[in-house]
Amino acid sequence: MGVLQPLAVVCASLGLLPVALPAAPKQAAAPLTSTHADPAQPDISGLWVVTGAMQYSPDHSVPKLQGEYLALYEKRTQAFKAGIAVDDTTAECLPAGLPHLLIVPYPFEILQTPGRVTFLYEYDSAVRRVPLGVAVPPEVDPDSASYNGDSYGHWEGDTLVIETVNLRGDTQLDFTGIPHSDALRITEHLRRKDATTLEDQITLTDPKAYAEPFTITRLYRTRPKWKISEYVCEENNRNKPDAQGHTRTGVAEKGKAE
Amino acid sequence: MRKSRAVSKWLVATGVCLGVAVEFCSQPAFAHHSFAMYDSGKQITIEGVVKEVQWTNPHVWIEVMVPNAAGGQDEWSVECTSVNFMIRRGFSKHTVKPGDRISVSLSPLKDGSHGGSFKGINSLNGAPLKLEPQD
Repeated sequence: MGVLQPLAVVCASLGLLPVALPAAPKQAAAPLTSTHADPAQPDISGLWVVTGAMQYSPDHSVPKLQGEYLALYEKRTQAFKAGIAVDDTTAECLPAGLPHLLIVPYPFEILQTPGRVTFLYEYDSAVRRVPLGVAVPPEVDPDSASYNGDSYGHWEGDTLVIETVNLRGDTQLDFTGIPHSDALRITEHLRRKDATTLEDQITLTDPKAYAEPFTITRLYRTRPKWKISEYVCEENNRNKPDAQGHTRTGVAEKGKAE
Repeated sequence: MRKSRAVSKWLVATGVCLGVAVEFCSQPAFAHHSFAMYDSGKQITIEGVVKEVQWTNPHVWIEVMVPNAAGGQDEWSVECTSVNFMIRRGFSKHTVKPGDRISVSLSPLKDGSHGGSFKGINSLNGAPLKLEPQD
């Protein structure tokens, strides 16, 4: 077409082609901006950011910790009071992992395609793929545990139910250092509460670390004008923990140009 | 040069005061690391000349040379949030430049070293800083 059109112009100008020139090709369609590409699913797509506290629970409550996990949390809170951050894996630029990733105040985008919901997080540039209609395996391979685990989803009316299993045990619920174990299972009930609000009811079941399941509800607000930007934690991390495992302050050393 | 302003409200989790000021929650200053190092219940103001701006992730840093009582200068390291957060608050890479005269509020480090968590800019080259946060 690109070659033929100039030829047609030449021919027409010479009177050799007594037909109308074909109309200029229509401008290409605008890029698809909707991230909801599965009419079979209720629409929860778009760009969202959490509202409320940076603590895991909006009211700052914590799960009923037991045994070594209670001792671990007490150790961390005592150190915190003394101005020392311990076991602070995100200070090393390691991933926050789930469920912490569900409450970090960075935006994420939800894509809905047939048979799958995909979460694209700005923080850690993390991705969570949630296949729909796939049963949670009765047993998971502990050797394949990961920061964000394996998620499985299905729709119940207007609510997306997500089960996440196979999580590592060394991440924390939030910056205060609330622990969990590798037996953690996360059940989410995610629904669009109204046009601008997404609601996630999150239940943590962890028979090793918690005496009973712990449920919170977090709200997310749509931010249609925002965009997900790059976030590379390793670029200039001045807070990497020292040899004692204490998070550094990042203060410039005297006489040394940072 | 410095003035302290007490923040009376504290957040309590499991009966343990974690020292995080309420205003942190209303306007999150999220760090990729723990806040244990900061005295978040306290806010101080430093005034000086910007030595360097590190417009980087995971945090933006502003290095400020502040006159001290001995007639010399101390370098203060002001830890801001990530580039994305700063942009959404209305900052750009060029809002604050080396050589600028700056008055900045921060939550100081508990260990007394010259640094803190960025709270806001009171004035830049003698004028209030007007920013347009993203909606």
